Amino acid sequence: MVGKLKQNLLLACLAISSATVFYLGQHAMECHHRMEQRPPRGDSAAATPGTAPRANGSAPYSKDMPLIFIGGVPRSGTTLMRAMLDAHPDVRCGEETRVIPRILAVKQMWARSSKEKIRLDEAGVTDDVLDSAMQAFLLEIIVKHGEPARYLCNKDPFALKSLTYLARIFPNAKFLLMVRDGRASVHSMISRKVTIAGFDLNSYRDCLTKWNRAIETMYNQCMEVGFQRCMLVHYEQLVLHPERWMRTLLKFLHIPWNQAVLHHEEMIGKAGGVSLSKVERSTDQVIKPVNVEALSKWVGKIPADVLQDMPVIAPMLAKLGYDPYANPPNYGKPDQKVLENTRRV
Amino acid sequence: MRVTTRRVLLLLGSVAALMVTLHLGQQVLECQQVLSERRHRLMRPKNEELVMVDANRVEYRYSKDMPLIFIGGVPRSGTTLMRAMLDAHPEVRCGEETRIIPRVLAMRQAWSKSGREKMRLDEAGVTDQVLDAAMQAFILEVIAKHGEPARYLCNKDPFTLKSSVYLSRLFPNSKFLLMVRDGRASVHSMITRKVTIAGFDLNSYRDCLTKWNKAIEVMYSQCLEIGRARCLPVYYEQLVLHPERSMHNIMRFLDISWSDTVLHHEELIGKPGGVSLSKIERSTDQVIKPVNMEALSKWIGHIPGDVLQDMAHIAPMLARLGYDPYANPPNYGHPDPLVVNNTHRVLKGDYKTPANLKGHLQVTQNTSSSH
Repeated sequence: MVGKLKQNLLLACLAISSATVFYLGQHAMECHHRMEQRPPRGDSAAATPGTAPRANGSAPYSKDMPLIFIGGVPRSGTTLMRAMLDAHPDVRCGEETRVIPRILAVKQMWARSSKEKIRLDEAGVTDDVLDSAMQAFLLEIIVKHGEPARYLCNKDPFALKSLTYLARIFPNAKFLLMVRDGRASVHSMISRKVTIAGFDLNSYRDCLTKWNRAIETMYNQCMEVGFQRCMLVHYEQLVLHPERWMRTLLKFLHIPWNQAVLHHEEMIGKAGGVSLSKVERSTDQVIKPVNVEALSKWVGKIPADVLQDMPVIAPMLAKLGYDPYANPPNYGKPDQKVLENTRRV
Repeated sequence: MRVTTRRVLLLLGSVAALMVTLHLGQQVLECQQVLSERRHRLMRPKNEELVMVDANRVEYRYSKDMPLIFIGGVPRSGTTLMRAMLDAHPEVRCGEETRIIPRVLAMRQAWSKSGREKMRLDEAGVTDQVLDAAMQAFILEVIAKHGEPARYLCNKDPFTLKSSVYLSRLFPNSKFLLMVRDGRASVHSMITRKVTIAGFDLNSYRDCLTKWNKAIEVMYSQCLEIGRARCLPVYYEQLVLHPERSMHNIMRFLDISWSDTVLHHEELIGKPGGVSLSKIERSTDQVIKPVNMEALSKWIGHIPGDVLQDMAHIAPMLARLGYDPYANPPNYGHPDPLVVNNTHRVLKGDYKTPANLKGHLQVTQNTSSSH
């Protein structure tokens, strides 16, 4: 009896250890794969002028580095945009940090309240001091939450509510403001139940009103910093003509062209590629190649009374080039490649 | 036990499996280490240290390893007096309350408290390590740049000591001074002077004492956790009754050489290298005066009878900290002659708030600290 127990125990141990071996083996293989696949990304000290090159080839980061900020109203293609850029070997955006918009919002509150501003100035916490502190905080998060790269990028949709401020504290930063037909964005957040602070997901009218306010703020700031630093990217145009727009984008960013940006779906989860977060709401969509699935899903879903009042509820639609009465507007004809992708998807 | 081929094979098999497991595990660990090293090696801040230059062109270098001093406690516990006395030392600079440091500390705490949020942040690569680096950077910039450079930098924001354990981790060479005062006196001060503090109902002695108790309990337990070598509770009453003895003790604790100036902070108000005061801080009008006993027992006779009766129950920290909850007032001790002299001069009216520091009365609502 005891002998059999001992044998069973030994068998169990063997089973467990084989499972462990299998798991570890897989892990080790992955790890080695990553090690080989990843030659140190980006140039070394030559990236920033005036810095002594370090023996170990580290790239220094500072407030003067060429950062890229991607944002817009959520559900406007921000994740697609950052994923396509992530596919470029010299660029790393990474996931939404979540904390960057929060600290920016808090900083904005301190600056807006004149009473608080006086108190802070009295304490020696002047605008300069605040700016230094914000630069330091934001840089640490952006640099350290993902892999190193020559061009670092950050995508937190509502960070661009502080676009002009970011442009000031990071003088070499550039901005990509994702713009999309508000009706499509709103339909997406409502049907997918994407919680966004301040948006009442039970009301198309409310969401469109909030969409309008948000995009107006960001749009105005984008215009304020100027076309050399901020570029509007229309989601519809990006998915219909990805090559044309990616070429324009990369030129705007002064980043050399790389074919990989047109095939971001092949770089998901790979080292030097696109790192996705399990908890982000667009992850399941962005693992697919660029396609036109989401363009006109909103048609027929918006209540009639809202449709009627559309230009009054959302004047930014017309301003951004979307006909408020067309359901849907003619966004354009997709490239051949995109048609193929959509068929495959 | 009989030695059969089967048994031997089983044994050999399990030993082999064990060895392979160990080997693979070691490889994975090594691999991960190399990867993380690579990551860290590849991005370094352009300037590893903050460099500040003072009026005499002397350079001061700051980093997270510098010997920072954090002063805090429940508001109205002598925190401003403590920092003013230290400010009087030529090598120390505290400066005014930054107001924002407690706020970002509270935000940081909120982010890691929610399990769900922590998971989401980890998924985004925003791990504790990353957040800590960002906090170090932010706090250092504020502390270093909101006042004059000095060899020893210090920060006084009362409620920061609710995160003293966290701060002690962020800044491994930092030290903490927890101001402790008879809760009845602190509460009387905030109520009579109408000092708004988030969460404290200034209409109720009972509520304020309860909140005082909660706050000092948190701060005191963290102080104990950090340990006597790095966190020193400073009793306000002892500081004002025996300033010389107390300051010698404090300077020894901080490992900073003695200077007589710390006993005469009132002579260095507004002077370079001295004590910089803020018009809008609520203790400014008191701290321009020399160390005195005016405020020790003002609370006598002002606390409602029912609260006095329940005192030990409402505020158990009183007894824990050494204040008799039923004595009104306790015998705090006998003042040094220096203090008797100072108090005499103050009561005569020798110290009036200078015009350039008068200001908080014009600001209708002034929140002393955030909770």
